[in-house]
Amino acid sequence: MTVAIAVEKAGLETSVQDFPGRYGFWEQGFPPSGPFDMWSFRLANILVGNEPAAAGLECQFMGPTLVFSDDCVIALCGAAMNATLDGAAIPMWESLTVTAGQKLACGFATKGARAYLAISGGIDVPPVLGARATFHMAGVGGADGHALKDGQTLHAIGGEGVPGRRVKEACRPTIANGKEWQIEVVQGPNDDWISAEGIERFLASEWKLQARSNRTGYRLEGPDWLFAEKASTKGPEHGEHPSNILDHGYPVGSINLCGQTPIILVNDAPSAGGFINPFTVPSAAFWKLAQSKPNDIYRFHRISVEEAQEMRRAIDKLCSEKSIA
Amino acid sequence: MRFDEAKFLPGGDQFILVQFGDDGSIDLNFLALGLTAALKHDQTRGVIDTNPSYNSLVVEYESDDISYADLQVELERLIGGLGSVEELELESRLAYLPVMYLDLWTRDCVADYSEKISPREYDPDFVARVNGLEDAKQLVRVHSGTEHWVVAVCSTPGLPLLRALDPRCAITSPKYNPPRTWTTLGAIGVGGLSTSIYTTPGPGGYNLIGRTPVPLWDPRQCHPIFKDRVVLLDAADRVKFVPIDAEEFEYIEARVADGSYEFNITAYQRFSVGAYKKWVASLNADGKF
Amino acid sequence: MIYEEPKFLPGGDRFIEMELGDELNFDLNFLVHSLSAKVREAEIPGLIELLPNMASIVLSYDPDGISFGDLKREILSHYHAMGSLEDIELLSPIYYIPVLYCDHVTRACWEDYCAKIGDKEYDPDLMVRLNDLDGYAQLARIHSGTEYWVSALGFYPGLASLIALDPRCRMTAPKYNPPRTWTPKGTIGYGGSVTCVYPANTPGGYQIIGHTPVPVCDIAQRLPAFKDDLALLRPGDRVRFLPVERAEYDYVESRVEEGNYVHNVARYAKFSIREYHHWLETLDMTERF
Repeated sequence: MTVAIAVEKAGLETSVQDFPGRYGFWEQGFPPSGPFDMWSFRLANILVGNEPAAAGLECQFMGPTLVFSDDCVIALCGAAMNATLDGAAIPMWESLTVTAGQKLACGFATKGARAYLAISGGIDVPPVLGARATFHMAGVGGADGHALKDGQTLHAIGGEGVPGRRVKEACRPTIANGKEWQIEVVQGPNDDWISAEGIERFLASEWKLQARSNRTGYRLEGPDWLFAEKASTKGPEHGEHPSNILDHGYPVGSINLCGQTPIILVNDAPSAGGFINPFTVPSAAFWKLAQSKPNDIYRFHRISVEEAQEMRRAIDKLCSEKSIA
Repeated sequence: MRFDEAKFLPGGDQFILVQFGDDGSIDLNFLALGLTAALKHDQTRGVIDTNPSYNSLVVEYESDDISYADLQVELERLIGGLGSVEELELESRLAYLPVMYLDLWTRDCVADYSEKISPREYDPDFVARVNGLEDAKQLVRVHSGTEHWVVAVCSTPGLPLLRALDPRCAITSPKYNPPRTWTTLGAIGVGGLSTSIYTTPGPGGYNLIGRTPVPLWDPRQCHPIFKDRVVLLDAADRVKFVPIDAEEFEYIEARVADGSYEFNITAYQRFSVGAYKKWVASLNADGKF
Repeated sequence: MIYEEPKFLPGGDRFIEMELGDELNFDLNFLVHSLSAKVREAEIPGLIELLPNMASIVLSYDPDGISFGDLKREILSHYHAMGSLEDIELLSPIYYIPVLYCDHVTRACWEDYCAKIGDKEYDPDLMVRLNDLDGYAQLARIHSGTEYWVSALGFYPGLASLIALDPRCRMTAPKYNPPRTWTPKGTIGYGGSVTCVYPANTPGGYQIIGHTPVPVCDIAQRLPAFKDDLALLRPGDRVRFLPVERAEYDYVESRVEEGNYVHNVARYAKFSIREYHHWLETLDMTERF
């Protein structure tokens, strides 16, 4: 039943990920990794009959070219990458049969930035520290700890996928072509380090996603932050800059203020450090970050913890059979 | 072998010897030290002083305040209260002592003996050889790699009798025969299962492998650390030898001389015999430093 | 300051940052780790992971399993049920790690930084100047003169933040600005009042003062010390650095490469907070090593 997949072209940064990623090793310095857009990823798995958690490929900006040696069922969700199968365009958000010898070629992402490829049975790589998710910085998980390389061979377990299944439009993340996003944020944990004026300024401003952004951190460009008194009357052990704080753990999604550079800490970000986190991007908004491109503009919309949890629940509900037409 | 019941033997009119066993097993020393600590805590009337050793404890008492028989009863009670040896937790400071291993001074001392009394191999080479170690450098690694347990402070003032806590670092060696007539002050010697530090330049029989510039006792109490104590180390303390070079040796010697040397002793640990046994059991006997 | 009541701050939909205080203080760190241990044992449904650090704990929870409010209540009840800090005693393994101070490896890294990024004072010179030291020998003496407490792991796999237990050995150091883009694995860094061993080749900002060939993180789990874990150190462990010379450094490096290096760790001492406080009072803070 095993499906051998030859990686003719690896693409820009294609990696094996599983959902929800790596847990239980945070204290040893391992971030969760896992798929950036957890919504598209799970739907792709459901389409091919996999558990939502099964290992699949995350394709960033430019997808791979793969040759399948055996029959299987695949699905591609997320950013549109003008994917073709033996030269013929294939639909997104739909499961389809691939027969032995066929070539899947992905190009540059047109709408959105990241596409997720699920293969029936899931990708077969040994779990490392309990997960198949790739953490490239430490060389852990996935295909030998790194993104795919040209000439590599992957294997999928294969299995009983059903072609022709489709995700209802209303159940998909809306990946528009526009360059502006409204990103939900929850205020805290360290919002008391920013002055009231600074909070308003953050929420009222436009923030540009810098080119040097990736799964380790999303760097934003915008106006200067204004600090509360606490940031300058603190003890010397916190550090000199107002944004310095005694080392503390970093929630995943924190907007980490390094000096005057806010960096959203995402899937492969460091687990702890000495800068403040005045706001946090909740889980439900991660797919928006995942589908953004450099120079996109963010406007942040403050919601409560409960609202953020509701949003996440809503997306979780959509990652189910109910969303399949 | 550990005795089922501790043995009590009189030492004249003022001493009672408590024996826990008859070999050098470290458990016996833990028991002796556990009893020492219990006596101190109990403040048993009539007890003047205690002197622990490998597997026994000598208690000095005032017979006007307590009889031999009554004292034995008290000691039996305290031993019962210790519980099993695994349950023992002992106050144990850790002293970091700088040592220049394979130094010139002890080399001279050995050479002098070799010339005047009986020719012998350079001690570190000899000890390395009889313990199957690669060379004197590995002896240094092994000797300095483990913490050493202070079994007792005895023989001459301040002289600590030490045993390697890490069984992978246990070395044995025969003592000089005949003994030396003098020893470099501060010399580190190994003999039998023990390490000792020569606090006086007198005769000795241990094999000399290094030298420390740090004083372990000070009858004149010149240095501030000896303000409240006459000797540096107590039984149940531990020592970690830190290898230093000649330059550092001279630096420390100068600071000792002017009274400004800062001793490096930590006193916030309790030695857990249970944890120690577990750790020993977990070690890979083949893994050597 | 340790807060009267800890603060529970939201981090998005599924994290809480629990702040117990706002300073670098051992008592606070012991509190963090003792509470973390208690909470882990309690196995609260819905609580996924804990990330303790200097003075705070980040909690990762499943909002479908427990609400923010309920989790806060549970944690607070464990916090209030904790006894006096003074009574805390933790089994604290100590790791002995050899270091070549002011070494060739970190010098090359600094030279590269100066060539490619910007001119910068040689790190050991900067440390000596800012901390009023005599020279490199005293830098090594002070850095290696204390045990270090592992106060947290984080930022990068296997990276431990180490705080000097002996306050006389606390130094201070600014960070590189801009930071280095690479640091050799095994570099000894000093930033703020924290020291660390770089577990891998990573960017970094700490002043670099020495190098160890001993690995502190091994994802491939090649050496015996990493049999059950990838990272050597855990919060609550202690580290002692031992200055070595080039020959010993090379020897250790070759054993690491051969795959038969034996890490030096003793696991039988309990760290007692009460005794640590007493010990602090005995120190003469005007003196230095």
